[in-house]
Amino acid sequence: MNVITASNSHSGTPGLIRRLGKALSTPFDPEDYLALFDPLQSAREVRARVIGVHRESDQAVTLTLQPNRLWKGHRAGQHVLLGVEIDGVRHQRCFSLSSAPGEAPTLSVKRQGEGGVSDHLVNRCRAGDLLTLAEPSGDFVLPEAVPERLLMVTAGSGITPVHSIVKSLLASNFDGKVVWAHFERRYQDLILSESLAELRRDPRLDLRLVVTGDTPRDGDQAGRLDEHWLTDNVDAAAEHTVFTCGPTGFLDTVMAWHGEHGLVPLFHERFKAATVVAGEGGRLHFARTGGQAEAAAGVSLLEAAEQAGLKPKHGCRMGICHTCKCRVAKGRVRDLQSGESRELNNQEVRICVHAAEGDVELDL
Amino acid sequence: MNAKVDHFDPIVFERPGVTLTRSQVETFGREIDALREEIMADLGEQDARYIRRLVRTQKGMELAGRGLLFLGVLPPAWLAGTALLSVSKILENMEIGHNVMHAQWDWLGDPALDSSTYDWDNTCPAEQWKHSHNYMHHTFTNVVGKDRDVGYGILRMSDEQRWNPAYLFQPAYNWVLASFFQWGVAFHDLEVERLLKGEKSFAEYREQRRKIMKKVRKQVGKDYILFPLLAGPFAPWVLTGNLTANLTRNLWSYLIIFCGHFTEHAEMFSEAEIENETRGQWYLRQLLGSSNLEGGPLFHIMSGNLSHQIEHHLFPDMPSNRYKQVAPKVREIAERYGLHYNSGRLSRQFGTVLKRINRLALPSRRKSKNAMA
Repeated sequence: MNVITASNSHSGTPGLIRRLGKALSTPFDPEDYLALFDPLQSAREVRARVIGVHRESDQAVTLTLQPNRLWKGHRAGQHVLLGVEIDGVRHQRCFSLSSAPGEAPTLSVKRQGEGGVSDHLVNRCRAGDLLTLAEPSGDFVLPEAVPERLLMVTAGSGITPVHSIVKSLLASNFDGKVVWAHFERRYQDLILSESLAELRRDPRLDLRLVVTGDTPRDGDQAGRLDEHWLTDNVDAAAEHTVFTCGPTGFLDTVMAWHGEHGLVPLFHERFKAATVVAGEGGRLHFARTGGQAEAAAGVSLLEAAEQAGLKPKHGCRMGICHTCKCRVAKGRVRDLQSGESRELNNQEVRICVHAAEGDVELDL
Repeated sequence: MNAKVDHFDPIVFERPGVTLTRSQVETFGREIDALREEIMADLGEQDARYIRRLVRTQKGMELAGRGLLFLGVLPPAWLAGTALLSVSKILENMEIGHNVMHAQWDWLGDPALDSSTYDWDNTCPAEQWKHSHNYMHHTFTNVVGKDRDVGYGILRMSDEQRWNPAYLFQPAYNWVLASFFQWGVAFHDLEVERLLKGEKSFAEYREQRRKIMKKVRKQVGKDYILFPLLAGPFAPWVLTGNLTANLTRNLWSYLIIFCGHFTEHAEMFSEAEIENETRGQWYLRQLLGSSNLEGGPLFHIMSGNLSHQIEHHLFPDMPSNRYKQVAPKVREIAERYGLHYNSGRLSRQFGTVLKRINRLALPSRRKSKNAMA
């Protein structure tokens, strides 16, 4: 077993100088003034400058970031809430970091639809742009005692957190084996391909690139993940600790296989909240602004409020970051991820993953 | 206007020469609502650039001002430093702080310009200000007994306030309030008179006072102790520069704010008048209780756009750089309904404020329209 520890301690400005600076700039922070000269300066948030833009394909990009000193690093596999200004307004979304801890953080982003954050990052982000990062989070990380036999099963942009994990693992004194099966439709969709080619040279990694809609190149294979694929293609697959990340249907297949055969734990990361279309919808009452709005079944409280012209605070829109938490004075809501319905009375919910069931009074 | 009594659409507003029925007032309200929606839907990059550039300008002026004061032994440096620091404090308190705390910039999603986290460079803690100003003053504008900005608990600004002999001295102590305005604003949140009347617990009062004193210590420590000490032998010049800058800010903000609600034609209201008030009636009261100041673009920015006090009271969370654009439309609507749109130059408007302070120092001769019991 290998124990991998992150070493990312930063020595802050000496306490006395920091306190003096704070006292001289009260009620602001010294950084609010220093930002006039260096916009990365901030006392309250991680700001990062884009120092590299690497085009992975016409639909994807890898951004290399230079964060300010508030950045405390991440654990391989974690995601981060990224903020970007579009037309003057800050938008936030969650992205997995693709870099290994200790190196300049990178984000590998695939464009999802038009006009959103990913579209902006892929098509309009330039070196020198400023972004903000919240503290990294997520428990899709290696356990402290790293298992000797690992099986990574990824598809599409599920490659990013696993890339981070594998890269950091191979950079350590890990002496086990990693099998990594990555599924992609076509080669042109594959991101991080150059880094994969490099990692592939390490004998501890057995990388299987599986294309589902393209002619496989030398060393790769064609195929599709089904309930037999892992058993048929990986020796003693059931005895590996599994890390899997990808689209919902793909994850369901891996988890069903693991449920039946797996002998050791499985870790997974979902990118899109698996939403259960259920419930009956309802009527929203906005306590603060005084309006009302109809919310269709399966439409989150956040979306319904936005359709009504409100702009509630939010971040990832997938239930991860808790930025959108809002008090429900009373009403029944359905959790769009679990499908569970519950009665609320003066409680907070993440409005991006809850929908109305009848009348709901929101503190908006 | 129709003089016939209509039980389904009663007259709810009467002034010399103008009567409005309930439905007319509500139509008026909807027109104001539509103006608001039009502007709010149009907010974007231009507005974001405006406020961010303003913050940079203000911070730059403050740094330059404080820097020059270290050379304050040279009179031109002292003058320039004090002027820069005064202007930067005015900009920060008025066009930035006041407006950010009104949530005018929350839509940017920027924590540095968010109403829930911003605190401004004066002795009044943001949290208490948001209660006494955003809630009490903006909801109950010019309602005697509710809006504590009516005289700040020490001046008699309306016939509805009961007279007592202490008010004889208000033409004089008004200037003391003006000079110490930031302190007046900070301590008027304590609501001492409510404590004395037993409407407020001592524990609540003590907690508030503790928070104010905490901020006071930081503010005083910065401007009157640390910066002068840092200047070493030049401490006296830094100290006098900082004192002058704070005084200038106090006088200027007092001037602008008093012109906002206490001019000759700005109306005062009683608690009885606002019972069951509709949104249209609330808009009416905001319009009639506020007064505008006329001037150039720089004057508007220096007044925190409170020169558009009427628009600010109709739309407290609309970014202030938009008031100029919406003002002619508000004026047009007001005139169409025969409502007085109170606007004038600073000298004229402030002249009428002083007149009011002098007049109300003496007991009222006539009975007011809604004399309090």
